[in-house]
Amino acid sequence: MKKIASALLLSAIAAAAVPASAAEIVVIVSKQNPATRMFSEQASQFFLGKSNLFTPVDQADGSAIRNEFYHKVADKDAAQVKALWSKLVFTGKATPPKEYPNSAEVKKAVAADPKAIGYIDKSAVDDTVKVILTLP
Amino acid sequence: MKKHLLAAAVLAATAALSAQAGVLDDGNLSISGFGTVGVAQSNTDDVKFARYNQADGVGNSARIGLDTNLGLQATYKINDWLSGTAQVLTRKATEHSFTTDLTWAFLKARINDEVSVRVGRVVVPTFLISDYQNVGYANTMMRPPIEMYGQAPIENSDGADINYQHAFGDLNFTAQAFAGVSRGKLFVSTGAGSTATYRAPARGISLAGEYGPFLLRVAHARADMEINDIQPINALTNTLTSVGFGQLASDITFSTGKKIAFTSIGGTMDWNNVVGQAEYAQRRAKDKVYLPDTNAWYAMLGYRFGKVLPYYAHASAKGAGSSITAPAALAKIPALNAGVANLLTSAEQTTDIVGVRWDFAKQLALKVQVDRVKPGAKSGLLINVPAAGYTKDVTVVAAGVDFVF
Repeated sequence: MKKIASALLLSAIAAAAVPASAAEIVVIVSKQNPATRMFSEQASQFFLGKSNLFTPVDQADGSAIRNEFYHKVADKDAAQVKALWSKLVFTGKATPPKEYPNSAEVKKAVAADPKAIGYIDKSAVDDTVKVILTLP
Repeated sequence: MKKHLLAAAVLAATAALSAQAGVLDDGNLSISGFGTVGVAQSNTDDVKFARYNQADGVGNSARIGLDTNLGLQATYKINDWLSGTAQVLTRKATEHSFTTDLTWAFLKARINDEVSVRVGRVVVPTFLISDYQNVGYANTMMRPPIEMYGQAPIENSDGADINYQHAFGDLNFTAQAFAGVSRGKLFVSTGAGSTATYRAPARGISLAGEYGPFLLRVAHARADMEINDIQPINALTNTLTSVGFGQLASDITFSTGKKIAFTSIGGTMDWNNVVGQAEYAQRRAKDKVYLPDTNAWYAMLGYRFGKVLPYYAHASAKGAGSSITAPAALAKIPALNAGVANLLTSAEQTTDIVGVRWDFAKQLALKVQVDRVKPGAKSGLLINVPAAGYTKDVTVVAAGVDFVF
């Protein structure tokens, strides 16, 4: 756990050191997914449990990229997102997105599932996934 | 005894937590939980303040029973479209100690991306927050306003529900319909207090539209309440029958099953740090029964300063008449006439609430809330009231920590 945290911290510092564009978050889907573009409001629907059309894949709880993502697509902090999900979970309406420890693992999970949607650091993108939205 | 039970529940939760982190987590089983550790106190021992259907209220000494609860939930994903969920909830309800109930247990089948069906014990969405009213962390306020949530005793039913979800552009529409049989206990606060058992075939529908940070919801539910053992009512109807008012007695009683309808409209918003929640509901008897018709509403407004969210709310419950008119001949027996008239009158109450929620740590929220309760007719919704009634304002101070895991 601490290793993950320090790795995240290191990558955050690294991201801050390089030009701002390298810290961009991109929303990705599988190559098999027919979607080509998406607005951030649409993307947030899947991560806030409002639509089941895509299956969201999340970054680690407490990670910098996760906090930044929810802030950018929904203007919500981690506690607000948690409260929202606790409504859905404890009424048996939905289960929260599965979490993966880093962008590489998220990318792998998204690549393997045509219905999955995830978000990763732009620098982690390769041709196994398709970028449908870039968050400035 | 109470403390032992709670400690056991907390231990069980901790065990479940570590089990989840270990062998049980095969990716298909998820165990989660929620709870509140709270303490509350009022400014008087003349009456007690309680949540709806609670046998023990709080008076002028600190008590943990008002808001403290613990819920544990397990979901097992059988395959892509089928899952099973069970939830148990420990709290102080109709007994004088903490009890644990199976709040729901159902199999959920995902028919497609927009439709799912649940079969088993499912939650009944009578009002806006009915289905998450026990999850403190999911709510802004410390507890659901009793003026509104005291109108309906039904929390779950054994049957089925269907959920439909569709996006019309930026508008997210959800519909839920349910049918089943609800069973449960009711705390009857009259006299020394007693419990009654109800059985109620119930059905209803709820429609909600969500547009960005705004949600609007309308719902209607009907229940055919059958209760045989409300002791004070049975005593009254026996007396009425014995003195020749058999028709009035059969109008008053719940023992033959009486239809009650609940209609509500409510909404929530979380817009630019302004957090709001408001609701209006009516309870109407569709058969002749002693239970008075009621109108209730509440409105809450808060503002989020980062992690700190202060809020104010006002809640009101008022009578809206009775389905029964006592026969004129009853006036010849003044004591009985007055008793029936009192029974057919609704309790009325308003409350002003100020509070603050502070999300001070991950998955933890601290709440402090002050309720200023103004009892109206029939001593409002307070319990253990003196025979002469109670009309003075009651102040209730509560603090608690809500958690989810």
